[in-house]
Amino acid sequence: MADSAKLIRYISPVNASVFPHLTLVLLGIGIFFTAWFFVYEVTSTKQTRSLKKELATALVASIFSGFGIVFLLLTVGIYV
Amino acid sequence: MWKIIVFILFINSINTAEVVNKNVINKKVERTIDLNSQLVKITGTITLENTGKEAVRNYLIAFERGLQGSVSYISVQDSLKNALKTSQVAVVGSGTSEIFYNVQLKQSVEPGKTGTILFEVILTKALQPYPSSITQKEKQLVRYFGNHYFYSPYDTRTQKTDVLVNSRAVESYSKLKPVGQTDSKISYGSYDNIPGFSVDTLSVHYENNAPFLTVTRLERTIEVSHWGNIAIEENIEIKHTGAKLKGPFSRYDYQRDSSSNHHSIKSYNTILPALAHSIYYRDMNGNISTSAVKAKKDYIELELRPRFPLFGGWQSSYILGYSIPSYPYLFKKPTGEFVLNIRLLDHVFDDMYVEDLETKIVLPVGVSSIKVKTPYEVRRLPDGVAYKYLDNIGRTVIRASKNNLVEQHIQDIEITYTWQTHMLLHEPVLVSVALFLAFIVVIIYVRLDFSIRKAEHSKKD
Repeated sequence: MADSAKLIRYISPVNASVFPHLTLVLLGIGIFFTAWFFVYEVTSTKQTRSLKKELATALVASIFSGFGIVFLLLTVGIYV
Repeated sequence: MWKIIVFILFINSINTAEVVNKNVINKKVERTIDLNSQLVKITGTITLENTGKEAVRNYLIAFERGLQGSVSYISVQDSLKNALKTSQVAVVGSGTSEIFYNVQLKQSVEPGKTGTILFEVILTKALQPYPSSITQKEKQLVRYFGNHYFYSPYDTRTQKTDVLVNSRAVESYSKLKPVGQTDSKISYGSYDNIPGFSVDTLSVHYENNAPFLTVTRLERTIEVSHWGNIAIEENIEIKHTGAKLKGPFSRYDYQRDSSSNHHSIKSYNTILPALAHSIYYRDMNGNISTSAVKAKKDYIELELRPRFPLFGGWQSSYILGYSIPSYPYLFKKPTGEFVLNIRLLDHVFDDMYVEDLETKIVLPVGVSSIKVKTPYEVRRLPDGVAYKYLDNIGRTVIRASKNNLVEQHIQDIEITYTWQTHMLLHEPVLVSVALFLAFIVVIIYVRLDFSIRKAEHSKKD
């Protein structure tokens, strides 16, 4: 392994020590929007319901929850 | 068709034909045979002389018939401790039962000059327990059969052999004069002017209570994650291959016996990398609680105690796993390729002998153009596909296998592959899409009307 000196060490783009904080923030936002989505779904009626608003809430909720879940797995040691 | 066969034979004959150069003479050979563990470790110095007219570029090291499958490791160095290239070859005019290794000398030996090489050989399965079965209280005695003479295709001027034996309790040893014995060694020689391929059986019958523990199968799985972690899991099957236990096993006698040198195996130490964490030790029943982790300065020592002491012929199996951060092992080339340098085999216990190793390396999702460089010859098995958490494509698994390994085989395998960093987003995007689809289902569900009667407000007109 003579040429390993020339190589650059690969370092994860996200430091492992910030995984728990990222989990908290992302999953917190994700759960908030998920809750908002479901509250909206059950409280709105056929007349007041707006598809645009539903889709927007769902999109934000799913993106934040998706990243949050992955960082949760990383935090607990399941390296996906 | 015939052309191809002839061509193949031709190629084979080029690769394997080696001729014994009769002009080479072993001027002086000194050997040390260490019999203190379950392995036979032979080290030695050869001073070779070129009596011919042409420079000598290579040297042959030979092993007797009967040592097939027993030579596990061989390394040859020149007098400046530079490793010399060694490869197994066939030799013209010899049977297939002998083993020859061709050593390429770095500096050719000119006519009339001498050169020095140092060699180290590890033999496995070379010690036989005798008697082959003993009771719980008896000592374990083993026999070693070797050769009084250095087995070589060349004539040897003068030679000496020291046999290191750990106890004074040597039952018997072959006495080819001159021979002498001190506390910890038996010295044979010097013997003068021995022709090539001479065999005269050397035998030592002595007490050896070193653990005769064989790893019958080791399955090592290395899982690389570019989030910064490498998970390693070893599936280990071990067997006590010393003298078999005769008669019953008494737990009472076993507890009372406090002497440390006993042929049974109570526990052993495994050495892990210094950065290892999240270590687990379990078998098919669940966690084995009898283990202790001791962090040393540059490694972690793990004391493992099997569920029961191991006597001759008894076996056990367990799973050992741990995680290590990826930065000491994973590199990036300026061209963007990734290089993984990791041990193909790791330490299980001191003086270990691994019968059968299979290493699996699970690469991240979406790798391509994989190149594998192994430190020694291994059998590459067909690549597999593994599905881990949040995986819809599957990960490439590199599989390699080798038989008959010892501690000296703990070396790095190098894997080079291309991988796009944006593949790191694969898993979170996968989860996000799945969640979004779930939301869409909810959106559609609330728009469906499953009621039997019409809703009240629609009745109004």
